[in-house]
Amino acid sequence: MGILIYGFINSAILALLAMGFNLTFGISGVANFAYGAIYVFTGFLVWILINSFALGYWISVLISLCLAFLVGVFIFYAVIRRIKGMALSEVIATFGVGIAGMELFRYFGFIGSKYGLPPIFGGNVSIGHVTVDLQRIMIGVMAVLLTLFVYLFTRHTKIGLAFRAIAQDERTALTFGINSDKTVALSMGFGSALGAASAILILPLGNITVEGGYDVLLNALAVCIVGGLGSSVGIMVASGLIGYAQTATAFFLETHWMMLVSLIAIAMILTVKPSGLFSQQKELEERV
Amino acid sequence: MLEVRNLMVFFENALALNDFSMEVAKRELIGILGPNSAGKTTLMNAISGLLVDIRIKEMRRGGERISMYGSIDYEGKDITWTDPSERVKRGIVLCRERHPVFKESSVMENLKIAGYLMPRSHIKKTLEYGLELFPNLKRLRHKKAGFMSGGEQQMLAILMGIVANPKLFLLDEPLLGLSPMIQKMVMDTVLRLRSDLSLTILITEQFARPVLPVIDRGYVIENGILTVKGTGPELMENPEVKAAYLGS
Repeated sequence: MGILIYGFINSAILALLAMGFNLTFGISGVANFAYGAIYVFTGFLVWILINSFALGYWISVLISLCLAFLVGVFIFYAVIRRIKGMALSEVIATFGVGIAGMELFRYFGFIGSKYGLPPIFGGNVSIGHVTVDLQRIMIGVMAVLLTLFVYLFTRHTKIGLAFRAIAQDERTALTFGINSDKTVALSMGFGSALGAASAILILPLGNITVEGGYDVLLNALAVCIVGGLGSSVGIMVASGLIGYAQTATAFFLETHWMMLVSLIAIAMILTVKPSGLFSQQKELEERV
Repeated sequence: MLEVRNLMVFFENALALNDFSMEVAKRELIGILGPNSAGKTTLMNAISGLLVDIRIKEMRRGGERISMYGSIDYEGKDITWTDPSERVKRGIVLCRERHPVFKESSVMENLKIAGYLMPRSHIKKTLEYGLELFPNLKRLRHKKAGFMSGGEQQMLAILMGIVANPKLFLLDEPLLGLSPMIQKMVMDTVLRLRSDLSLTILITEQFARPVLPVIDRGYVIENGILTVKGTGPELMENPEVKAAYLGS
């Protein structure tokens, strides 16, 4: 029972982490390796706003989400725009930006275990014999709600439809007046804001550390690669698989083996089905 | 309405369009004929502004060097370097070659995407008109566009162009890869749209037989150079055009 519940929550965490990365990649083909940095950045930013500027929790969260969005847009215009279409350069450049951003926090002395975010709701509930804190329940709920939100957003708003158009055929999208630079920049912004949202939900479970950023990137990558980059169904299935595998590993072996699970998952999927379990881009080609 | 003057386009050192000039008056139906790689698509991309965007993107990543000389005027204003979305707003809409639909999206979603710059009320009104014109699409409206036949995809592509509210409608090889029966249907539809919506239409084609009888005027290009121009009947009487494009 414990494995079931905590496995589900772990899966929800992974799904939240992967969502933003996947959104950006699915739309623009840009693998945003600065994703972990944005996660850490949001954590420290909320902490600073609450503790140094003495702002309220919700206002800090709101400001951080907006700033994360802007950081994503900025990274596009400053870095990615001029190398768009060259996958390797995109990876190296965004990874470089990410490392620089994260290590800057270390440089300015954001080390140690005193940095943590408050949970949205304190307290515990019992499901059967298992006690779960409300923050973890919240994570499960929000993972479902955000997935739904992204699904509806990309199908029923102009910007969302522009996202779907650019994802499929940039030049044809241009013939309907969809500006590709602007749309890709927005997708970076939305991806980053989703990453920020996941940070705000997940970080209260532990401390904010610079190293956490690398783990986040690795986990997001693992989920996206296993699920098939750019596929939202793939994200759900893959985060379920890896989530339960990690929880089971922690339960039957030891906690520090958990990190290996995502690496093994990446290695396995790359040897068996390199395009991922539910690679959307390939779906049509394979069938027709 | 549209005036292209001495347009020259280079891809690196290859000349795609050589000193090409043409003019289009309001409500005309103009055909651009020529074999593969004659420069038809380059001309369409230059008029729709896609070329400007492609050029910028190639430049950013140090790819192919594209140079363009000459000018394109539309409704009395120079648009040679205007970006494509601005041109769509002013009514220049291109329907690209090879059934340009979003294959992963349903028919309805394709049409909604096409109306990106239009208010919802306009999209709704156009769809009522358009889906009545294409009963097939109405039946298939929840189907993924990628699973439809080439003819259905081409019909959808044309309707998508219409949703974007064109004044000058550019059709790049709409008959490519379609059966003669569907080709006739597409041409009939184009004529119907032209009279219903008082469009000005520019249509490129390799295969002249279904196009020549209906166009007002035509331009024949080969290797980027204008070889013959004239009214539809004139072109049909021209022995060279007859030999090369009508096969008789």
